[in-house]
Amino acid sequence: MDIIDSISQFATQEPALFALIIGIIGAAVISGVVNVGAMLVIWGERKVLSDFCNRFGPNRVGGRWGILQLGADAIKLFTKEDIIPGDADKGVYVWAPIVASMATMLVAAAIPFGALHIGGKDYPLVVANMDISAFYVEAALSLMAIAVFMAGYSSNNKYSILGAFRGIARMIAYEVPMGVCVIAVAVMAHSLNLVEIVQSQTLWYAFAQPLGFVIFVIALITDLGRIPFDQSEAEEEIISGYNTEYSGIRWGLLYFQEYNNALLGSILLSLLFLGGWQGPIIPIPILDIISPLIWLFMKVVIVLWCLIWVRASLFRLRIDQVTDLGWKWMLPLSLLNLGWAAVVGSYFA
Amino acid sequence: MTNASEVLSSIQSAFPGAVLDSRVESDRRLWATIDSKKILDVCKHLTNKLNFDHYSGSAGVDWIARNEMEVVEIMASHGAHKVVAMLKVKTPRENPSVKSLANLYWNANWYEREIWEMFGINFEGHPGLYPLLLSDQLIGSWPWRKDFKGYPDLTTGERAVAITTPEGYTEYRFPPTPAEVEAGAVVAERPKYPTFREREEREIKSDSEMIMHLGPQHAMVPGPFLLDVLVEGERVKKGFLDVGYIHKGIEKIMENRTWLQGIVYTDRMCYVASLSNNECYCGAVEKILGLEVPERAQYIRVILEELSRIQSHLIGTGEFLTLVAGVGYAPWQYMIIDRERIISLIESVTGARLTHTFVRFGGVRNDLPDDFAEKCKSTLPYIKSRINEFIELFAQDAIYQKRMENVGVLSAEDAKRVGIAGPALRASGVAYDMRVEDPILVYPDLDFKVIVGTKGDCADRVDCRLREILESIYIIEQCLDRIPAGPIKPEAKIPKKVPAGEAYYRVEDPRGEMGMYVISDGGDKPYRVKVRGPFYATLQTLPPLLEGVYIADVVAIAGSMDGCPSEADR
Repeated sequence: MDIIDSISQFATQEPALFALIIGIIGAAVISGVVNVGAMLVIWGERKVLSDFCNRFGPNRVGGRWGILQLGADAIKLFTKEDIIPGDADKGVYVWAPIVASMATMLVAAAIPFGALHIGGKDYPLVVANMDISAFYVEAALSLMAIAVFMAGYSSNNKYSILGAFRGIARMIAYEVPMGVCVIAVAVMAHSLNLVEIVQSQTLWYAFAQPLGFVIFVIALITDLGRIPFDQSEAEEEIISGYNTEYSGIRWGLLYFQEYNNALLGSILLSLLFLGGWQGPIIPIPILDIISPLIWLFMKVVIVLWCLIWVRASLFRLRIDQVTDLGWKWMLPLSLLNLGWAAVVGSYFA
Repeated sequence: MTNASEVLSSIQSAFPGAVLDSRVESDRRLWATIDSKKILDVCKHLTNKLNFDHYSGSAGVDWIARNEMEVVEIMASHGAHKVVAMLKVKTPRENPSVKSLANLYWNANWYEREIWEMFGINFEGHPGLYPLLLSDQLIGSWPWRKDFKGYPDLTTGERAVAITTPEGYTEYRFPPTPAEVEAGAVVAERPKYPTFREREEREIKSDSEMIMHLGPQHAMVPGPFLLDVLVEGERVKKGFLDVGYIHKGIEKIMENRTWLQGIVYTDRMCYVASLSNNECYCGAVEKILGLEVPERAQYIRVILEELSRIQSHLIGTGEFLTLVAGVGYAPWQYMIIDRERIISLIESVTGARLTHTFVRFGGVRNDLPDDFAEKCKSTLPYIKSRINEFIELFAQDAIYQKRMENVGVLSAEDAKRVGIAGPALRASGVAYDMRVEDPILVYPDLDFKVIVGTKGDCADRVDCRLREILESIYIIEQCLDRIPAGPIKPEAKIPKKVPAGEAYYRVEDPRGEMGMYVISDGGDKPYRVKVRGPFYATLQTLPPLLEGVYIADVVAIAGSMDGCPSEADR
């Protein structure tokens, strides 16, 4: 307990220096955690999806589970020739993948990756524990739309520009209901801070506002660009859409961001609606310290598994149906949910 | 019920002197040589008075010894009667020209373009006589004429010349080389026509429109064909189709192979349906030879062709699912896994997975293995339960219904008019199935339904295909119960030379009506083989269906046709 005490003492005495140290350590840790996590998500998707499809998936590189497949793929992507089309808008083209990773890292900075349970108290693991983190995360997630548009526009390719248009149309249609759902959660939690939102969930918000949960899940899948909302890629229609022209590690970065976002999105969903890291403390030494982490990890895995399940079983919607659904159904329903949250939230307050 | 002789007498009484020569082969086949001046009137008469509403295609024949060319118009009816009229129109070999039927029958367009570029027969009044299958360089050499010497002309020892283009690529050109062109040595003058690119680009009316390529290298196409769509935003305004990317010239190759060797080439037209292609060719040759197929062999052929239909429909539907749901969609892989079982069944008989070369003149290559019936009886109920699951799954899938219902609708009248074939035609509500219309083998003895749809949209087309699998399973079950013991080949030896004659034979390919028109001049090789492929007919109907739909629907519509460009190009 002495270490914790002295750390908190240091934090109160030198807040600026403490924030700087946490920031530097956190930046290193989250870029590791998020990227390794995304690699595991890619591997997991390939494995789980092949299970759904009744086939094996990666099973050669790294034993029968194909665990080193991603390493091999990454090496391949890094060593591939980097082709920039002659007619591309070169500056924008080069920066698009970087903006995409930047957006992901901005999200990751404010998301609590769990908590440590020490001495009967939860210490959240978050780099930037800001008061409006829920709002900030939502805003930073939508930066991805800019990256998608940059990539699609600069490629100077018909498929890519269609993919970019579709991406923008889709994201605008769904960011709004998604934001309204976050506000509804904040209304119930009386806070925009993700840590406080988690701590306020004695009843999971998935049960307190089921409508909001459903809308958020749909909007999240849209935001992640996964089937049935992957119109901006749509391999069979517009050949991967916005990233048609990308190759090598630039393509790798864009591809990686999708899975980074899938991981962060699942964590966000668990935090906002599934009680985050809350759960019974496992009464075993050492394990009790990380038991909040274990709970969050399990929730995230289940959410990701469901995302893959959706991909294995649903058809892709047409872009006009997507925007129809977003503006005509999701937005009014999310406002209805906001009203519900306001009434119930004030009743419980 | 109209029969062939009634049709003939009707033509003769309406147009005295128009029929120069005629032969009533059977109740279902009429061969008539029509005066080339009267052909349009005769066709109008057939369509309006005698219900010949199905223009099934046309074939060109080069009779070099008689110094004349022939165009054979194949006319049939969508179910009103079962007569197929083969109307021949003769034209001299110098400046050959016949009247075009493209203004009477919408789908005559492609058939006539093909004859024009292959034989050089001009079609008077054709709305756009542009190259279809051949590359621009070959126009003017008329490759399917009998005196075609090859490209480049190998008889004179000429070879293509390697040229380095200004861009640094190496190209092989048949003379004239650029140097020869500069020197003024230009070969035969070729017809002037706008290229495909020019034709589609003159449709662009404003800056907000663009042409998008879906093919020949695209995730959508089941094989190389070029589908260009003129889009404004997400809306398609017009579709353009260019085929011939894998034109193999199989019809010409078969003229240079013996009768037996020809079977191998029919496999290669469409490897997913190779058994029906075998059947079609062998059936036509058997007709000329007058061969009777032993009953056991007939049953074996029916069993295998129906198995082949099941596996073709499974992969067709599976591919369609990947187009609208992405490759991660699990049921499409289930279909491929189920198809694997059917392929194993076929393989246990023929020894090959795709290109079987199994059907022989007058029989089949080998008998069924001993445990075949048991294997079938364990596999088929499983497939049946799976298909029922798929039908139920799609019927209940809200997103699927939303995507597919009322997309690519083809009414029954339009479907008949444009000459679409197979399940796509039946989905529009036209019960037109060669197994009923032109029954072969033991099909008349078997009990099965012709599956028809109601609306003719994408969902119907897929549904029809799936329900046809159930019918096929039912047919196979009946065959397994009834199949007699006995020989599988005729006792007499099949002659190497086939007596002079001609036959038109139709089978129900998984993709629809497939016909082969085989002519023998008494030699050991076919004089001419014309393949009337079902997907060639279906592919032609694609562009009009695409007007006004979304890009995503283009993929769904094209996918629901279950394409096989390899067979369309032949």
